[in-house]
Amino acid sequence: MRALRAAAVAAVLSLLGLLVWDLVHQSGPGVATKIDQGKAVPAPLLELPRLNGEGKLSLASLRGKVVVINFWQSTCYPCKLEARDVAEASREWAAKGVVFLGVDAQDLKSAGRAYLEHYKVTYPNVRDAIGKTWTTWGVTGVPETFFIDKRGRVVPPHITGQASRKKIDEGIRRALRS
Amino acid sequence: MRALAIAVTALALAPAALACTPRASQASLETKLVCIQCHTTLDESDSPFANELKAEVARRIARCQSEQQILDAMVAEFGPTVLSTPQTHGFDLLAWVLPIGGILLGAAALAFGARYWSRGGGARDESSQADELAPEDERRVDDALGRFE
Repeated sequence: MRALRAAAVAAVLSLLGLLVWDLVHQSGPGVATKIDQGKAVPAPLLELPRLNGEGKLSLASLRGKVVVINFWQSTCYPCKLEARDVAEASREWAAKGVVFLGVDAQDLKSAGRAYLEHYKVTYPNVRDAIGKTWTTWGVTGVPETFFIDKRGRVVPPHITGQASRKKIDEGIRRALRS
Repeated sequence: MRALAIAVTALALAPAALACTPRASQASLETKLVCIQCHTTLDESDSPFANELKAEVARRIARCQSEQQILDAMVAEFGPTVLSTPQTHGFDLLAWVLPIGGILLGAAALAFGARYWSRGGGARDESSQADELAPEDERRVDDALGRFE
């Protein structure tokens, strides 16, 4: 009987341990919430396979540059609406050292590549097959756009929904100033 | 004329003859694959992404890929989370083994408990403690009984 009691206590303690571990390892509200409160936060690690190229691309390799991160999907209508504006902005800001990075999440590889070709997107894009970056960044839907300053901090504003050319330019200017 | 008719018939039947047998089932695959955006199986979802996956499955069936080949291709693209049931190897095996292990452990605990109680194990513990009187108490009981005699 004592053995049975000990086993039951051990089982309850293990479950409690699991609960504590889960609470400790929760990633929190994500970057977006903090940015929307006007805070600047260090950019989370982001290293994913390239969608339009070989190998992986790490956000850390872009440190020292202003980076515009755009989350999108090939099946998302507002993404299609903003795609040409984002692509055009990337070409125009490239001369000033601003880098654009697209994150295609939860999408078919072939569909993502066709999208890039259709909208003449030439800036680097990575593929997040199951959307694991969404929680860390606090992305709740696509498209969403973030701005990272030269110090590697994600800074306001954070654009949810279709990004107009005006909003992109404004975000870049603020990131350049911070 | 007859030769021409045979040639036309042969040409008409050619696609059917070339068609793969057995053909993978679109309906079956839609129950085995999950729309990772909406977390339901493809047959239960009508989201743009689910429709994109359904179309991809249809394209692969048209290319004569087997059900297993299509499932493998989807896992290669999205990882095992795209499958509606866990795989039977690697870490996913735990999803199958743990519930069975839990049931067996529970059954063993029940069997052990039932055997223990049927032998009166719990009762014997308590009664054996109750039977044992301190020498002083024993003497007082004997005295009390002696007064009744």
